[in-house]
Amino acid sequence: MTPTVSVRGLRKRYGRTPVLDGLDIAFDVGVTGLLGPNGAGKTTLLRCLATTLAPDAGELRVLGLDPATTSGRTEVRRRLGYLPQDPGFYPHFTAFETLDYVAILKEITDRRERHREVTRVLDEVGLTDRARTKARKLSGGMRQRLALAQALLGGPDLLVLDEPTVGLDPEQRLRLRALVSRLGESRTVLLSTHQTEDVAALCERVVVMEGGRILFDGTPAGLAAVAAGRVSLGDHRPGPGSLFWRTADGRYRTIGDAPAEAVPAEPTVEDGYLLLVGRTEEAA
Amino acid sequence: MTTGDWHIPPDLLERYLDGTLDPVGVMSVEAHLVRCGRCRTAVPADEGWLAASWERIAAEVTAPRPPLAERLLRGAGVPGHLARLLAATPALSRAWAAAVAAALGFAVAAAHLAEHGLLAFLTLAPVLPTAGIALAYGRRIDPAHETYAATPMAGAPLLLVRSVAVLLTALALTALAVPLLPAATMPPVAWAWLLPALALTSGCLALATRVPLPLAAVALCGGWLSAVTAVGAVTDDRTLPFRPAAQVLYGCAAALLTLVLYVRRHRLDPALEPR
Repeated sequence: MTPTVSVRGLRKRYGRTPVLDGLDIAFDVGVTGLLGPNGAGKTTLLRCLATTLAPDAGELRVLGLDPATTSGRTEVRRRLGYLPQDPGFYPHFTAFETLDYVAILKEITDRRERHREVTRVLDEVGLTDRARTKARKLSGGMRQRLALAQALLGGPDLLVLDEPTVGLDPEQRLRLRALVSRLGESRTVLLSTHQTEDVAALCERVVVMEGGRILFDGTPAGLAAVAAGRVSLGDHRPGPGSLFWRTADGRYRTIGDAPAEAVPAEPTVEDGYLLLVGRTEEAA
Repeated sequence: MTTGDWHIPPDLLERYLDGTLDPVGVMSVEAHLVRCGRCRTAVPADEGWLAASWERIAAEVTAPRPPLAERLLRGAGVPGHLARLLAATPALSRAWAAAVAAALGFAVAAAHLAEHGLLAFLTLAPVLPTAGIALAYGRRIDPAHETYAATPMAGAPLLLVRSVAVLLTALALTALAVPLLPAATMPPVAWAWLLPALALTSGCLALATRVPLPLAAVALCGGWLSAVTAVGAVTDDRTLPFRPAAQVLYGCAAALLTLVLYVRRHRLDPALEPR
């Protein structure tokens, strides 16, 4: 069966700097999280998939279509929901007008159908009572939810969410997790984030990127397992060169070589991620 | 039928529900239903219809009142969704309209007061719509550009809708200024800005398929202003760029550049736009 998204040899440069370096990957139904430090290429990959940026080289298939062609791009956009990293708004538009405008751009031309859809997505993100509030008067978290709502318009088959949890408070993040996990049951959801706990709680698959390449592709449990035997807890401060921090109970959690008296600790997704990225940095 | 202990008999209720009851009977039954809770319980509610009705009411209540420009466009027969896109064009702010009006005001005043003031008006007027279009679309101009770039109307459809909105507004404002020009310059000279405006606009959009839109606008507007000035200086006849022969040239250029724009419209896609 053809995957929702298929990427082969994808390359993109900004000036002389390679951002995607011959990427090969495929995505299918479910929630996949992209992790990686700033500049890893996550946003560039998502923008290529969202058809707002053309790659320099490589083969891309989205929903079985070729975004390199005009007709392919347009058809992908009809079935796509995209939350950019920096979603802007017209400050004089209300939340309702913002969504109504995007719904028109998504070719929902019938007024009643459009308003029904706008009302639905406002409800999905918990902004029904803010429908008449101007975008400039919404808090950062509300604006982020509004941006998510526009991505949900039209019930897209593919959702591309670039850092969707930025600016959300813990309760809103939980609501977002519930919403995204429900969407991921029947469609393909790709999200980039810096929050490893979101990946652990939400994603059935995680991809770690660094320097335009893939460092890890597997389950969150698999990413945590990368750090198996490399995480420890001890009462004494480890020596220099170790990655560690002092926990709430006053002990030192160390990732890497364990100090002599430390005891092994259960690794988390964050431990695995830090170990992977740290190892790369050391190699570089 | 609506008083006392009387209730709707089963055979009458059945005919009412079947829709076979005559209009007078229907009105009598419904008048009774308003007052009689017992009979109302015998009438099955159409949940689907009720839900749809509430939804429609909620949608009407929640939907904001469209702005004046959008209502005017709808009144003129423009489809609602297109009216919204046209009226929401970023460049069509009050500030932009005020700037255009001020520029035209100065140009009209110059036409009255200065020796070659009318030429200033005819030279400036074609630049206004092109400048407006440059402010209507693009990554650096539109805060929501990246969001809209992933919709099926991204690229040429959205840019052309916004260009039409800006062009029509600028042309309308300029046309309003024409009667204010000195009486001696009435038609056709007073309208000698129209074809250059169309040529510059179509040229700007056609060039935007190769270079960024703001750069295309600056290049063409700068080129136009320089050319008009240079022709006046070289030939000693400042009216040459606005004479009938030149107008034919502008008309042909506008048609040709519109054709180029049509052929190359796919290059206006945000994924391919020049940086």
